[in-house]
Amino acid sequence: MRSSTVGWLFLAPTLVILFIFGVLPFLYVLVIGFTQWNSFAADPTMQYNGVENFRRLMFDDQFLYSLWLTLKFGFFAVASQILLGYLLAQLFMRDFPGKGFFRTVHTLPLVIAPIAVGATWRLLLVPGLGPVPYYLNQWFGYELNISRYIDQAFVATVVMDIWHWTPLVTLTLLAALASLPKEPFEQAQIDGANRFQIFWHVTLPLLKPAILATVFIRLMDALRTVDEVWMLTGGGPGAATRYIGLHIWRVVFPKTDYGYGAAMSLITLYLTIVMCWLLYAGLVARRDLKRAE
Amino acid sequence: MMHCKRLVASAFVATLMASTAPAFADFWSDAAKGLEGATIRGVSESTPPSNYVKDVLAPAFTEATGITVEFEATSWDQMYDKAIKDMEANTGIYDFVYIEQDIIYSYLARDFLVNLSDMMEQNANLKSPDFDISKFTTFIDNFKNADGDVFGVPMEAFVKVYLYRKDLFEDPKVQEAYKAKYNADLKPATNHAEYRQIAEFFTEYAKENGMEMWGTTVQASSGHPASVYEFVESVLPTYGIYNWGIDTQTFAASVENGGQMNSDKAKEALTWWIGNLAYAPPESTSSTWDEVAATFAAGRAAQGLVYGENAAWIATNADKSTVVGKVGVALPPVEAGVMEQAKSGEGYIGYYDGGAFGIPHSSKNKEAALLFLQYIGQESVQADWALAGSRIVHQATYDDPKIVEQDKKVDGYYTLMKEQGPLFRGAPPFPFHNQAREAMAPFIYQAITGELQPAEALDKAAAAVDAELKNLGYRK
Repeated sequence: MRSSTVGWLFLAPTLVILFIFGVLPFLYVLVIGFTQWNSFAADPTMQYNGVENFRRLMFDDQFLYSLWLTLKFGFFAVASQILLGYLLAQLFMRDFPGKGFFRTVHTLPLVIAPIAVGATWRLLLVPGLGPVPYYLNQWFGYELNISRYIDQAFVATVVMDIWHWTPLVTLTLLAALASLPKEPFEQAQIDGANRFQIFWHVTLPLLKPAILATVFIRLMDALRTVDEVWMLTGGGPGAATRYIGLHIWRVVFPKTDYGYGAAMSLITLYLTIVMCWLLYAGLVARRDLKRAE
Repeated sequence: MMHCKRLVASAFVATLMASTAPAFADFWSDAAKGLEGATIRGVSESTPPSNYVKDVLAPAFTEATGITVEFEATSWDQMYDKAIKDMEANTGIYDFVYIEQDIIYSYLARDFLVNLSDMMEQNANLKSPDFDISKFTTFIDNFKNADGDVFGVPMEAFVKVYLYRKDLFEDPKVQEAYKAKYNADLKPATNHAEYRQIAEFFTEYAKENGMEMWGTTVQASSGHPASVYEFVESVLPTYGIYNWGIDTQTFAASVENGGQMNSDKAKEALTWWIGNLAYAPPESTSSTWDEVAATFAAGRAAQGLVYGENAAWIATNADKSTVVGKVGVALPPVEAGVMEQAKSGEGYIGYYDGGAFGIPHSSKNKEAALLFLQYIGQESVQADWALAGSRIVHQATYDDPKIVEQDKKVDGYYTLMKEQGPLFRGAPPFPFHNQAREAMAPFIYQAITGELQPAEALDKAAAAVDAELKNLGYRK
């Protein structure tokens, strides 16, 4: 009984902070999501409007497009990061000259604030000023203009995200690789398995928990990306990089449509949870179910 | 003997200064009694006029009153974001905020701002003898309510003019080449067809002569509202479409509902404007007002519509501009009949922009802020401020010798503003300014990228604005 009280006392500060900065704002957003509230409307007061915001969302082309765009962004960014991160982690498992230096440099993007990453990439890529479009044009005659061509802008945001976050994936997978037991690999070699078979039947299953955890973290991050993209493209050109976080920001702040923006946030949160659950169920729970059978 | 005379003269000047300075400073130190040591905070967009306040006027005010001014000059988006959040939540972070002419109607509708006329009347001890509302230009009328009470002290006002490279336009070789190609004299464009022709000419001329220059600037950021503003405030009026194409009585935007946003004329205007991108530097699709000025200052465009706040530094500051002494100023090109409408007061040919500082109700240092606003509104500080930021808010500033002198260097920009200013107009008095802009913006952006044809973009924009204004409860 006494130890339980002490335990709660230790937990109390964290719980209080979590309640104030996590639970309360969530409840507030939940309430606002069911209201019509725009401070510059003819009637600027908050009015309960039931599920009207959610009904409108289902027919809102811009919202649905942003959602689709965000999923596309998340897929390309996270898949590339996992692949590149795994290859780099494998590289760092080996010894080569300058490994320590390369590993340090490779990790540097992680410590840069997203807004600074966006600003740096903007300076590199902005037409008329950035060196990248200039030299691409001078050397290869290629016109890179991320403020005009929608595909280029989309790819630029994906590449920027990959550059920024692949080191995190590398470090996670490196730690996982380093902690793998040696016995399964030795047994596979004794059984005559080739490198691909060892990777597919031994390494990958053993790394699965680490990969899944990394995918979840990165996917959730990718779905709420705002600052980097806001700095690089401002969501443009057109709506080419108006990912859901940016779209919500535009609805809530410049348009001051708090009720509708809150509903968007709730739907996005719900979809993120559902997607992670589906991923988990598809990749982990199914296997556990088979084992149980 | 000579030395003695100098000594006497110096002593006389010193005595004179000593006797007059305290008298001049008396009001500020007297009025600030009890407020010394206070700190007031303000937020504004980082522009030449704002930076002058931050670097020169705020420190001078602190010296005169003992009141510290923390002045935050930030990006346009951030400035609004911070100011509106502060006033909305009543947090009182800012004691004065920048109010652009176009947002004042929204702020007044929400009762965000302190009535300065009332406040000065009720606090006679805080009313500076050097602050006189009647000395301001008519631009101050934008910051008055229906009763004539003032809610903001103008700090900048300018017109968005047509800048062109005078050196190139007057170069005999260039004139000859133009004449040979178009059988017409090269002169600043007075209509859209001429403007396009000049843009095309200079783009090709620059290419042929190995110059990094294009025919025109276009404020066509494909992800920033600056492009929407250029279209609705500087292009649409030149085609005779006013008030963004929104009916000021019914607040309808689409032609179907009685507006003009997607009328044939508006579509023609957007087609022309988007078409200019073919003759504009590559940065145009990421250009806001700042980048347009920078592009022109870098000598990368032969002509363009540029906010007047940048005219002075582009034409005179050799540290920042490569076209010093080469800048010409003219009225924007218009369609036939538009100039007549503007002269009669029925219409206008471009944007008369500017802003004021106002005090939010949420301010915790209203008295100190009122003193600061009056300090920057004095006649004595206006001329140097105008030199730094090509902004004029006092009638007398036009005749100040410093401004008269600079006017020659900026090809008569101030004269144009004084004499032709009435041809320009501020934004319409909509309380839903940001909301309407944000509703139409995605479609203008998509027209810039070519995802939508101009006609389709305006049809969608007008429908979106109609829907938004209905949702907000304004549509009648």
